Amino acid sequence: MRVSRRKFLQAGSAALVGLSVKGDRPIAGSFVNDSFQLGHLLRDRAAFPAARRVEKHAVVIVGGGIAGLSAAWRLNKRGFRDFALLEMNEQAGGNSRWGENEITAYPWAAHYVPVPGPKATYVRELFEELGVLRNGQWEERYLCFAPQERLFLYGRWQEGIEPAIGLSEKDREQFRRMEEFIHRFRASGGFTIPMERGLSREQAELDQISFGEWMRQQGMDSKVLQWYLNYCCRDDYGALAADTSAWAGIHYFASREPEEKGPLTWPEGNGWIVKRLLERVGTYVRAGAMVHRVEPRRDGVSVFCGNVEHRAESVIFAAPTFLAPYLVEGMAALHDFEYSPWLTANLTLDRIPATYGSDPTWDNVVMNSPTLGYVDAMHQTVQSRVERTIWTFYWALAEGTPGGNRKMLLEKDWGYWREAILRDLERVHSDIRQCVTRIDVMRFGHAMARPKPGAIFSDERHRLAKLEGRVLFANSDLSGFSIFEEAQYRGVRAAEKMLEKLGGK
Amino acid sequence: MGILLFITVLLIAACGLIYELIAGTLASYLLGDSVLQFSTIIGCYLFAMGIGSALSRYIHRGLAYRFVWIELMLGVIGGFSSTLLFLAFAYSQGFQLIMYALVVVIGVLVGLEIPILMRIVKERYHFRDVVAHVLTFDYLGALGASLLFPILLVPYLGLVRSAMLFGLINVGVALWSTFLFAKQIPAARGLRSVCVVVICALAVGMAQAKRITAAAEDNIYADEIIFARDTRYQHIVLTRFKDDIRLFLNSHLQFSSRDEYRYHEALIHPGLSAIPAPRRALVLGGGDGLAVREILKYPQVESVTLVDLDPEMTRLFTTHPMLTALNQKSFRNPRVHIINADAFPWVDSNTDSFDFIVIDFPDPTNYSLGKLYTTAFYKAAARHLSAQGSMVVQSTSPMFARDSYWCIVETLKQAGLKTYPYHVYVPSFGEWGFVIASPHEYLPPTSLPAGLRFVSVDGLPAMFQFPPDMSPMNMPPNRLNDQVLVRAYDQDWKDISH
Repeated sequence: MRVSRRKFLQAGSAALVGLSVKGDRPIAGSFVNDSFQLGHLLRDRAAFPAARRVEKHAVVIVGGGIAGLSAAWRLNKRGFRDFALLEMNEQAGGNSRWGENEITAYPWAAHYVPVPGPKATYVRELFEELGVLRNGQWEERYLCFAPQERLFLYGRWQEGIEPAIGLSEKDREQFRRMEEFIHRFRASGGFTIPMERGLSREQAELDQISFGEWMRQQGMDSKVLQWYLNYCCRDDYGALAADTSAWAGIHYFASREPEEKGPLTWPEGNGWIVKRLLERVGTYVRAGAMVHRVEPRRDGVSVFCGNVEHRAESVIFAAPTFLAPYLVEGMAALHDFEYSPWLTANLTLDRIPATYGSDPTWDNVVMNSPTLGYVDAMHQTVQSRVERTIWTFYWALAEGTPGGNRKMLLEKDWGYWREAILRDLERVHSDIRQCVTRIDVMRFGHAMARPKPGAIFSDERHRLAKLEGRVLFANSDLSGFSIFEEAQYRGVRAAEKMLEKLGGK
Repeated sequence: MGILLFITVLLIAACGLIYELIAGTLASYLLGDSVLQFSTIIGCYLFAMGIGSALSRYIHRGLAYRFVWIELMLGVIGGFSSTLLFLAFAYSQGFQLIMYALVVVIGVLVGLEIPILMRIVKERYHFRDVVAHVLTFDYLGALGASLLFPILLVPYLGLVRSAMLFGLINVGVALWSTFLFAKQIPAARGLRSVCVVVICALAVGMAQAKRITAAAEDNIYADEIIFARDTRYQHIVLTRFKDDIRLFLNSHLQFSSRDEYRYHEALIHPGLSAIPAPRRALVLGGGDGLAVREILKYPQVESVTLVDLDPEMTRLFTTHPMLTALNQKSFRNPRVHIINADAFPWVDSNTDSFDFIVIDFPDPTNYSLGKLYTTAFYKAAARHLSAQGSMVVQSTSPMFARDSYWCIVETLKQAGLKTYPYHVYVPSFGEWGFVIASPHEYLPPTSLPAGLRFVSVDGLPAMFQFPPDMSPMNMPPNRLNDQVLVRAYDQDWKDISH
């Protein structure tokens, strides 16, 4: 037994105050990969260098997230080589960026793709090419290992995120009714992925009210059900049910009927897909290349990036659409595009909390927490024992206004978020501070499109999504919400349209 | 002298509280229901202190002399209290009776301490100062003890040695008091030698504490424990009763030396003897070396690779004389190569091929072990099979865990293998099941190594027959994304135990 005097005094005084011994392990970390500064240069119309050099391509893709990379994938696959992809960040991938350390690779944002249904033909095509889908069978190692999800409620963990314990008869009845609704909406064929394939005026009314209002109209007042639906909206849209279009809220549930227990996931989340795409189209990608002006001309489009003018016949604008009015000459301001701010953090754990509480689970959610919980990057390992891991902590800042929350994201320092994250985790893992050695935080001012009421059937959105003119818009926000399948769909569609145009010439 | 006196009060207060906490903790450990245990023990203890205080009025003379004796008695009784309780739990039926008797005796003695001490010093100070100071230090001592107990004593010293340490403090106080109150004690020298003897006894006790708890644990397990160790991966316990050695991993029985030959002969020979010229064998799991022992009966096998997670396990079965007698020093055989690695990642990264693969893992009691029973794992393992190769899988009991057994069979089928399920009776396990799985047709062997005690050519066909109560069940395969086997296994055993 070796206890230094200092340690002893610390233990003793800690015991006096809190009656638990707390180590003072320093927790390292910082903000990482913020693109605020870059974005704000555009917003503030900062001065950019004049072009010194001209490069010519048939096509320039602006933005290297899933939409842009998918456009590149399709162009390349069709044998089309005369294009360049310009990505503002040093790392391509957008919301599917990832990180790696000595323990494992881990995601920075998007971390899974639900097993795609038959209508998501492009996603299935990509997954067949990547060996995720083979002879009609999903590769077992890419399907999320069991147990997938758990929820902490009433002081214990249950399997699955839909609350199943402690339900009153009323709660059960309303969950049942919700399920029947979903069943009917699914059968209507109006809720599909990609959303464009099923979108129908028949359901347009649902877009006029919020999901919260729709629940009220159906007499669904169960607190547990409301928590669950709110959680789902926060998870997929970064918004509360009261700020989400009822159409979008229903789409979350009615659009998917997986043929296999999923989702598909990898340690680095959708970064795995980005890696595979970069293996194929990486040579076209210029990272750290911020476009500062897009100038349509009579015979083409000039894309200004650093001191280079890229002259293209057409442009695929795959970056978030809200950036377009700041970049594209002569483009009017947008009104129907709103985005939810998010925060993600990667926590390095050099031991698993003694308070873990069940078999190792992939997605861990705590009822009535403002955050979305954490995902374990080591879950998809075939090792039988995991001693160190990375948890990716998700926090959609859904309460309040997006603008106010963006301001808060900018103002608060790293220490503030570290404490907020640790306190949230301490609800369920009282020993978390003794397990974490590092917390890196990434702030996303405009993480994902927010499908507020009216967003889905917005004329502005439909007009931009039409793929007309020399600048084709391809970001997933044109679907009204940001999910992998929509981003990939719009990227591939833009590429096909481009091939059609160039081929027809 | 004042401060010394009050430190004495502080120390004896701490001792008193520690004995009470030890009794409460031990009772909670051994009997459960900590609220009940702590409540009744605190109640009894305080009540006994009251009795002690009441009794103090009957002590008229020789206060200091009697105080020293009280401290001595507390040192002995309190110091050995947890030892006594451990042994009482292991060896007697009357644990609770002994425990409450002990609590009452200690309580009475502690109850006597403070009143007597106050009377000893009342001549020297004002009454109101005596009361204020004695009680202040009494409560301070209690605070110190209550903080020390959970933070330092239990984690670092354990209950047996903590009690002895505080016994030593009580005796120390006794010894010190003989000096402090030297004028009031006539036969101080005699008392001092008693103190020294008791101190020696407690010191020896502290040094031997491990033995005492081991002796108690021995009796809690049915048989004598010949080895117990917590490794990084598991809790290994070996027990012996007469000539029967048993291995437990995380409290699950792995083998009994009386009938393990049935299990291991059945695991190896039906599969291995059917391969025309086996040269290379792989054993996944099986860190006891018993499967390897059977494989070494084939002189044509040139190499056996054993992959087991736990180096302590393979070291134990390489060095412990009783165990190497059992596995016939199989791990020391030059044909055997031991690799301590996690099986699934090893199978994924290694590229060697083998004529016979033995998959002998613990039952799928959790999702981590369940991964080793999935289509993904069997596909990965099957990639290591040579052209003539086949594998055999330990597959739980088709009798007690019938769904689980047939789930494993289905999983092997879905991994693209032909399956040949069979079962044997192992007395210490009951009916036990295995599956031979191979990309090609399996034909039972027509000859076996000499000297087998259980498997015979004539007996083979019966092993492949399943009576109606163990016949095939319709089960889905076990995949990484649903792990139906872990749920089925859990349900199978629940059905049996309820």
